Amino acid sequence: MPTPAQLKKIWLLSDTVLYPEAVAFMHKHVQESEALPTSQMTGLFNAAASEQYPALYQFVTHQRDRNWPNSKMHIKKFYTALEETLTRLHRTRLRNEFHLLEDVPGRSVSETRQEMDVLMALLAREFIQHVLAENGVLLQTEEERRRQKARGGDGGRQQGRQGQQGQQRPRTGEGNRQQGQQQQNNRR
Amino acid sequence: MNRKMKIIREVNNQAEMFYSDAVGLGIHAASALKKKHRSQMTSLENIAESTLKTTDVFDYLKKQIARYDYWRKPLREQRDANEGFGERLKNYLETKLPERIITVSKAVGIGDATDDDKQERREIYLLLMRQFIRQVVVQYEYRVNQDKDSQEEES
Repeated sequence: MPTPAQLKKIWLLSDTVLYPEAVAFMHKHVQESEALPTSQMTGLFNAAASEQYPALYQFVTHQRDRNWPNSKMHIKKFYTALEETLTRLHRTRLRNEFHLLEDVPGRSVSETRQEMDVLMALLAREFIQHVLAENGVLLQTEEERRRQKARGGDGGRQQGRQGQQGQQRPRTGEGNRQQGQQQQNNRR
Repeated sequence: MNRKMKIIREVNNQAEMFYSDAVGLGIHAASALKKKHRSQMTSLENIAESTLKTTDVFDYLKKQIARYDYWRKPLREQRDANEGFGERLKNYLETKLPERIITVSKAVGIGDATDDDKQERREIYLLLMRQFIRQVVVQYEYRVNQDKDSQEEES
């Protein structure tokens, strides 16, 4: 269990460090390839919502190592970059930059590893939630650009106008289940 | 007066100053979401009131902008007529409100060097955001009901 001080620190890091980094991460990825499709967003969100960091890490490496067809290589690129980010968080930043690990004399290696996993699960969830939110906006912008290109004109006009033609990607209900889950996680 | 009370007083002072901006966004919300999507505004307010992170509000706004076209509706009378409601609100919260954190922090004597300072600044940001969103929602409610009343009178 993280201490209240650790939780407070994670919330601060989420707002001040992880959020801008997640936005930059997604923009860099989209500049080099394209946004993550909705199906992948759901899968990654569910993996990040799990309590266990090893399970999340395994999901990310599994997705990275799959044999993706050429048309989906951007997904492989995304998971490759995400794995690198998580590894850096785990190996160096958690202790040296964020100072989240407390040195307790007499603590065993497995206890320290357990604490690292708990903290990593929380940090990774924060980062991934920010990544997915940004990805959603970029994906929508990409779709809109494609639609406008197909219509054959007015490429410079932005999203605002397209709205009048009904909702895109309709979902059941307006309640935001993902957000609800996020709120629950924050209160833990 | 203790520190917490001082912060609340300073945040309230700032809220007086950004009231007209909130009214503008409330009018935009009413024009974009209409009465039909009222739950979107109550969800936004609930998240702002209950969260401990400002980025939860930004993530929520991004998700709604991506999902629903009405969050992307611009206001015709607006100067930048291409900016949708969600984007406009997000930009305001992300770029305009932080200036006020500095003012409040200075007035109360909060620095920006230590982790404690940063935590206090983050709490001020949340308080400002809640006040602003509350004002936007109130204006939205007022406007959509006003529109409804005038429609009823006409018919």
